[in-house]
Amino acid sequence: MLSRVANNLIWLERYMERGNGIISLLKVNFYANQDSPELFSWTPIIQNYNASSEKIHTEDAIECIEYMVFNTSNPNSILNLVTKARENARSVQEHISREMWLCINNYYLYLIRKDLIRKLKEEDPIVFLDELKKYHLMYNGTMDLTQERGSSYYFMNVGKFLERVIQISDFTAMKLIEIAKTSDSLEQSFYWKNLLLSVGGYQLYLKTHKSSFQENHIIRMIFQDKLFPRSMYYCVNKLSRHINKLIEINELEKNNTEFLLGKLESTIKYTTIDGINEQGLNHFISDIKEDIKNISLSINTVYFSHSN
Amino acid sequence: MNNNHHFSSYEQLSNTWDEMYSNNAEIRTPYETIIQYLKNTSKETLIKKEELSKQLFMSQGVTFTVYSDNEGIEKIFPFDIVPRIITAIEWDIIERGIKQRIKALNLFIKDIYNEQFIINDGIVPADLIYNCPNYLREMKGIKVPHDIYVHIAGVDLIRNNDGEFYVLEDNLRTPSGVSYMLENREISKRLYPGILPRNNVRSVANYPNLLYKKLQELSYHKNPNMVLLTPGIYNSAYYEHTTLARLMGIELVEGSDLVVKNHFVYMKTTNGLKQVDIIYRRVDDDFLDPLEFNATSVLGVAGIMAAYRKGNVNIINAPGTGVADDKATYVYVPDMIKYYLNEEPILKNIKTYQLSRPDELEHVIENIKTMVIKKTDGSGGYGMLMGHEASDEEIKDYLDTVRKNPSAFIAQTILKLSTAPCYINGELSPRCIDLRPFALSGKDGIDICPGALTRVALKKGSLVVNSSQGGGSKDTWVIQ
Repeated sequence: MLSRVANNLIWLERYMERGNGIISLLKVNFYANQDSPELFSWTPIIQNYNASSEKIHTEDAIECIEYMVFNTSNPNSILNLVTKARENARSVQEHISREMWLCINNYYLYLIRKDLIRKLKEEDPIVFLDELKKYHLMYNGTMDLTQERGSSYYFMNVGKFLERVIQISDFTAMKLIEIAKTSDSLEQSFYWKNLLLSVGGYQLYLKTHKSSFQENHIIRMIFQDKLFPRSMYYCVNKLSRHINKLIEINELEKNNTEFLLGKLESTIKYTTIDGINEQGLNHFISDIKEDIKNISLSINTVYFSHSN
Repeated sequence: MNNNHHFSSYEQLSNTWDEMYSNNAEIRTPYETIIQYLKNTSKETLIKKEELSKQLFMSQGVTFTVYSDNEGIEKIFPFDIVPRIITAIEWDIIERGIKQRIKALNLFIKDIYNEQFIINDGIVPADLIYNCPNYLREMKGIKVPHDIYVHIAGVDLIRNNDGEFYVLEDNLRTPSGVSYMLENREISKRLYPGILPRNNVRSVANYPNLLYKKLQELSYHKNPNMVLLTPGIYNSAYYEHTTLARLMGIELVEGSDLVVKNHFVYMKTTNGLKQVDIIYRRVDDDFLDPLEFNATSVLGVAGIMAAYRKGNVNIINAPGTGVADDKATYVYVPDMIKYYLNEEPILKNIKTYQLSRPDELEHVIENIKTMVIKKTDGSGGYGMLMGHEASDEEIKDYLDTVRKNPSAFIAQTILKLSTAPCYINGELSPRCIDLRPFALSGKDGIDICPGALTRVALKKGSLVVNSSQGGGSKDTWVIQ
């Protein structure tokens, strides 16, 4: 496969997955913010995703959602992410299924509809966000049903799980900042519950631990659960699986990607909850982030190593 | 239900061939079925169909981007829902005529880059060749596989008021538009269920397979590594490049994906370098190789021409074919047909005046109101002077430019392009059209896909069909 194509496939999936995560975050924060605006302000979300120099000072829910969905100077607005995903998809059309291309293209066309902002402003914002979410669900389903299992699929999944792992650490880190600001255990439990909702693990948590929010249980579920598809453990496993597939079919050099991944896997698997608490969750996460960054760089060399 | 009012304001242009109506305002036989269908369909339904066609183009991503103020606006190439119909008898003439022409033009290119018999025999003047900006010295003496230079040609035809087809332009470099021939047909299938089979319309779907086969045959390998080289996502024909690559099952590459080592061309893959055998390039000659042509080009591949000269890679179409589709060379095509093939041209040329000849220049100036003057190396409908609609001042200015370098211009009498019915603002109106069939040359001869791109000048009274200047297109039905 062309190196450029591999790179575009990885980024296609990273942009789509990021969009998907941001929509979930917006939805969860909208509900929480309506309940207790003092705990769930919009500022941390905007700060985390807005890489532009522009400063946003608003706590108006609709304005914030508008900024996160439509603003073109915000590189992580859904519109920008989908535009970039589509550009990537466009240039690799002969590698992805026709259905996937149509799906992304129609998502883009939906987002640029002139009346869409009005829909957000005048109608139910949840319906609005759910509509966007549907495109992601459809996209993931389409990929699963139509894309042949081969190098394209593996590269896309590398992008997807890399992004998901980054998202889990980002979402957690954002909440930890808030948690550190208060010593009220009830407030802290609200944040933890909110984190579960954002990563989509709330229902599973209730089924497993009932309605009692204990920090250790939550950390273990988000980072170490083997069956929860948005746990760190699960995603790193998937990432590793697709990277190994690529190494197997000679589409990826063994170099040190494999080593870095192995290191990350064992950190996540074998660090006990006491171990995490001992070093502090913050420290644990920043180590993971560093590892992910190195893995991502090491995969990027796929693209750059043959460029001369 | 009868919706004759679709036709109520159909005003035929005087002294012009209309594809649907005969001179005594009767519907020509091949159009009867579709016209009957339109008559039985309400205005609302037709408007819905028009809307559907636009949506289909958008959702499939059949668009091109126009850039202004750093912002790209995606547009669709306007599509008219009424098909243009060509009978089997007409098609037979077109097919034979184009095959004859391409055969002669290909021999001409081979001759020009080798022995130059045609110049030595005094048929074509030497300065015509050496003054032509598209003549490439770099191609001199290169042996190309099976002596084929023009693998893909898109010859532009028009139908004059005598009902005959004339050649307007031979596009022998990187002709575009074939994806619209394919896409327009897909749209017609959705707009008019059942109508295509009832008309015995010949299928165009085989084009990508045929193209693949023709190119594959050029290589001595059984499974050559074939790629399509695109200038990239910002090119207005990018959609076409992605479509052809997808339908042929070949890799779409950009210049930066390729590299030349020891006179072989490779693509950079995740698995290392992989040799490339055939390059269907949609990059112009000038940008192909910064070492030999435009040094600032980042669209091409450094060293590709050297690899080509060694026979290590095949470039489709061959570089330097522009010497044969230049507007100044056009004048000599009928002579070439006689010279190389000893045949009479089947398709006529348009009467063309060479302004470097004082008597012809004078004749053109005297009859300027009936003339169009074009640059010999121009394309896209730019830089022309249309005598009948230009002001005296515009004419004066243009002629001043012509006098400075008359050999860079040619003039032609303004033709009456035939008109075809178009569905515009809820009713049928006649609009001027041309026809671009696509011819593919391979080692076993030339094949022409039974279909074409019909371009339409959507502006009332306009003769300019170019997409950059308000042109649109129609599906083209060649019926059995």
